[in-house]
Amino acid sequence: MSQKIREHTLALAPGEARCPDEPSTQEIIARDKVAAPVWVRSQAYTFLGDEDISIDRYIDPAFAKKEFDTLWTRTWQFACREEHIPEVGDYYVYDIGRHSFIVTRVAEHDIRAYYNACLHRGTKLRASGSDGCASEFKCSFHGWSWNLDGTLKEAVCAWDFPHVKADEFSLPEARVELLGGFVFINMDRDAPSLPSYLGPEFMAHITQWKLEDRYVYCHVYKTIPANWKLNMEAFMEAYHVINTHPQVAVSNADANSQYDIYGEHVDRFISSLGVLSPHLRGQYTQQDILDQFTLGDASMLDGADRTLAAGETARQRMADIMRAMFEKATSTDLSYVSDAELLDCFSYTLFPNTFLFPGISLPMVYRFRPHKDDHRKSIYEVMFLRPLPADGNRPEPAEPVYLRDDQSFTEAAGMDSGFAAILDQDTENLLLQQEGLEASAKPGITLGNYQEIRVRHFERAVDKYLAAKA
Amino acid sequence: MLSDFTRFCKLEEVPPGGKKALKINDSWVLVCNTKDRLFAVSGICSHQARPLLNGRVRNCKITCPVHGARFDLATGEALCLPATKPIPVYALRLVDDWIEVCV
Repeated sequence: MSQKIREHTLALAPGEARCPDEPSTQEIIARDKVAAPVWVRSQAYTFLGDEDISIDRYIDPAFAKKEFDTLWTRTWQFACREEHIPEVGDYYVYDIGRHSFIVTRVAEHDIRAYYNACLHRGTKLRASGSDGCASEFKCSFHGWSWNLDGTLKEAVCAWDFPHVKADEFSLPEARVELLGGFVFINMDRDAPSLPSYLGPEFMAHITQWKLEDRYVYCHVYKTIPANWKLNMEAFMEAYHVINTHPQVAVSNADANSQYDIYGEHVDRFISSLGVLSPHLRGQYTQQDILDQFTLGDASMLDGADRTLAAGETARQRMADIMRAMFEKATSTDLSYVSDAELLDCFSYTLFPNTFLFPGISLPMVYRFRPHKDDHRKSIYEVMFLRPLPADGNRPEPAEPVYLRDDQSFTEAAGMDSGFAAILDQDTENLLLQQEGLEASAKPGITLGNYQEIRVRHFERAVDKYLAAKA
Repeated sequence: MLSDFTRFCKLEEVPPGGKKALKINDSWVLVCNTKDRLFAVSGICSHQARPLLNGRVRNCKITCPVHGARFDLATGEALCLPATKPIPVYALRLVDDWIEVCV
């Protein structure tokens, strides 16, 4: 660290320092032609301390067991999209650890989540990882069955079960709430409502996004050889971009990205695109930046004029291209959509395990789950949400692609190859990190006050749930 | 050797998104019209021999309505428990607006 920067940082209160001599995210966005909405222009950083984070949380199987007992049983989790169960009787099985739920549409506006086990001798009523449509939930073993509304339909040979009272044998339910086309469930009957859990600031954001008017056009699963929290934390900051994704840094304002926290369960970053990394100052032209711009779905740019005129910026040209391409693809007027919404990476974490990216060029949802038997493995899902076609017909949600452990994301049909290469780079670090933490002589990880605030915020929530009694 | 195709029904009887089951040579055959393709498979689930006719078809897969077994309409492969065995798939062709299957 240069003496000048050190003096600058030490003169500030902890957490106040920002990337020196560079525009902030808000200053970048303020120069855009089409202005950003309030949810983009807000800032909500809070310093949360600078102590190390203990590493037992990543490497101790007892810690993982405690998470299953106290965290996963008490938090709101994204179980499926409403579009996965559009018709009455449609169901989708959501698993977390040993827990399993049949999420089903009982009536047009009534979605329920049943514990997925027969009340006779416990057989799962539907297989893990499955979905479909049913008029009843019938056990494959002895044939006990339940109506869609969870009431007992038939106990086979009822004469032999005089002790079974139908009104005591409805399928137990988890709580269900809907938001933005997502179905959330929570096992905790005493948990706050979903809006209260997520907080008013975030609720004001997500209601602007209309994610219910999108559909899953690509869905990829991969098992990652690292603890689920390490897996998530690999996506919480842009600090790693210059080192892990050098091809991206040319068109990404990484070190001057913005980080915000909202209550206990939500945080975000905004990472501006079409702007040179502060690490690369003076090394690339605006044309270079435009040439290396990476998208979640580069097919949108087929045929676009990517040669800049004198004085034109890469960021503005990309915004103009994106607007034109999406207007054409969706037959809608996007003149009111800000350049930032079209271009930038907006990454929100909804504790415990979901990332939402409401932007247009990077329209992903990530979901992370621990492996039920191995704290060193996690299941990583990537979904891309596209706006509904202009004709209003909702396409079927994409069939998931299950990658083998040794496969690259570039082998996942439907995923843009440039974006897939980024995910490979992200996840290639993770086994090394898992093994390094296990090998380390240092009992904690050390975090940057600003760029890694989401990691600290996330782990604070983990600690809060683990401090509660099972 | 000539394939032994049998008339199944008129194409119009299985419109896009539709299904129809008929018994051909003592076998229940299910024809599905989905994603601009026609598929002919066994109409009986390999798990507990229940009819598949009322199963949901999505992304060229059919789910048994009774216990939730799922099958690939193109290959017959069983995709989830409780089924572990595939269902037969049959060749299908269109002749003068008739669907014909080879059972």
